[in-house]
Amino acid sequence: MKEYNIEILKQAAHGLLFDMSEEQYETLLQEFDIVVAQMKIIGENKELDKTEQMVFPFEVSTSVMREDVPTTPLPREEALRNANNKIGGQIKLPKVVL
Amino acid sequence: MTYRGLSIDELHALLVSKKVTPLQLAEEALILAKKDSNNAFEYIMEKEALEFAASLKEPEVNNPLWGIPFVIKDNFSTKDIPTTASSNILKGYVPVYDATVVEKLKEAKAVAIGKVTLDELAMGGTGTSGHLGMTFNPHDRSHKRLVGGSSCGSAACTADGYVPFALGSDTGDSTRKPASYAGLVGFKPTWSLISRYGLFPFAPSLDTVGIFARNVKDSAYVLNALAGHDDKDSTSSVRPIDDYAGEIEKINPKTKVAVIKGILNSISDKTVLDKFNETVKSLKDAGFAVDYVDIDEKILSSLFPTYFVISCAEATSNNANLDGIKFGPYYNGATFEDVVTQARTNGFSELIKRRFIIGNFALMKENQNDLFLRAQKNRRVIVDAVNKVLKDYDFIYCPAAPSIAPKVGEASDRLSNEYLIADNHLVIANFAGLPSITLPIGIKDGMPFGANITGRAFEDKQVLQMAFELEKHTGLKNLVAKGE
Repeated sequence: MKEYNIEILKQAAHGLLFDMSEEQYETLLQEFDIVVAQMKIIGENKELDKTEQMVFPFEVSTSVMREDVPTTPLPREEALRNANNKIGGQIKLPKVVL
Repeated sequence: MTYRGLSIDELHALLVSKKVTPLQLAEEALILAKKDSNNAFEYIMEKEALEFAASLKEPEVNNPLWGIPFVIKDNFSTKDIPTTASSNILKGYVPVYDATVVEKLKEAKAVAIGKVTLDELAMGGTGTSGHLGMTFNPHDRSHKRLVGGSSCGSAACTADGYVPFALGSDTGDSTRKPASYAGLVGFKPTWSLISRYGLFPFAPSLDTVGIFARNVKDSAYVLNALAGHDDKDSTSSVRPIDDYAGEIEKINPKTKVAVIKGILNSISDKTVLDKFNETVKSLKDAGFAVDYVDIDEKILSSLFPTYFVISCAEATSNNANLDGIKFGPYYNGATFEDVVTQARTNGFSELIKRRFIIGNFALMKENQNDLFLRAQKNRRVIVDAVNKVLKDYDFIYCPAAPSIAPKVGEASDRLSNEYLIADNHLVIANFAGLPSITLPIGIKDGMPFGANITGRAFEDKQVLQMAFELEKHTGLKNLVAKGE
């Protein structure tokens, strides 16, 4: 497992596009000591290496195919009504390609 | 006359005999909601509730939810009603669609009177981390005790008698733990039995819609209305559903119950243990087989860390869409990254950020094998151990929590068995997708506490039957917090 320190935690935060105060990172670093100690409990089970991962509790049979049923799509105004920066019926953002 | 604290059955009888109208019920529930001192409400749906209730004229004798008021946890999408998941990043968000469960309850003509608060984004177990602050336990009018979370508003409103049932959600124990602290029945049905379309995802491999009520049969009525396949949820089961309320009294007399010794051993509260053992004796006296069985303590101790890694990792990914662009407060910035970073930095609380960072750390390339994938492997070990018990027994029965509702600020040793096992064992049902129900079994210092029954996947009917039986033994049902 990667070492953890303030810089690694900042890297993880910035990768998720948010930041915290220095004090908050310090608090998190202390929490990591407990979290990592708890993780070691999982690490104690050497049999795990032979075990398959479980993602969902069980398989759910479902059909991805369905009949085509004509419906009325969401009007543009409705789709955009929660966006707070828009222009000409589109969401406005800073230029991505400069 | 007041209708506060009446059950669905009692209200239904009054509605059918026209001694009360849906409008009168909604009016009283709204008055109680407006006077709420538990800090439970995000939004009171006064106009909508009154209009809908007034439109209900002719009682439907065979529909127990007709005209019944209820509240909705604010992580369910509600068309044209503000929905924040108690997070500032969703401030001002007004969904354009209803969650399937909301739609189904509308179709059943139940009357939603409000959206209720929760731990931010349902990621917490205390009822203190939402953007409105702490939600109080109605059984403690001094406001010193937690009601638990994350479905704190749903628990508070049901325990205070404003409504006979509430919608919650349950990823680790977010319905069943608050139910224990608030003297309620808290039910987490089988994963995939109820559609999650419109429920804001926290950790989809664990998330389940939850039901709060004050007695077991009322929970069954609500499950009858909510269960069933939904094309809008790709994880929704296509299995046929049962009549959960109609057959609630038909328990198999040869039922076998397992009590997990390691869970009991991790609890130190004598009152909780004594009362629990009393219920075991009562079930045995009634002819049920109850045995104390083992699950390896190492497996039990690993429940919480396994949950923490999986849920934080899934949450990190699932909440990537909260960026302030499509919804939520928008912040100007020079670049796309600036815009999103400002929205997320200002929109999430410290607690949520910490969980996301832990999740991201677990997902880092260098850590995935040691943390995330290892937790997923351990999940299988846990589920295999639980299902092995359920091969020989119909139910697992244990105290739902190690104590009555804790006081604000009471800290646990997070490496102790009391924390790792007794406080977190309910997550077993989320890992395995099992139906699991908490109901009250005792009262200490005026505060209720509960026990939990977990059964096999898709045996929700049997779990409700067992809970109904246990409720008869304890005599504890329809508990309502005393007035102020």
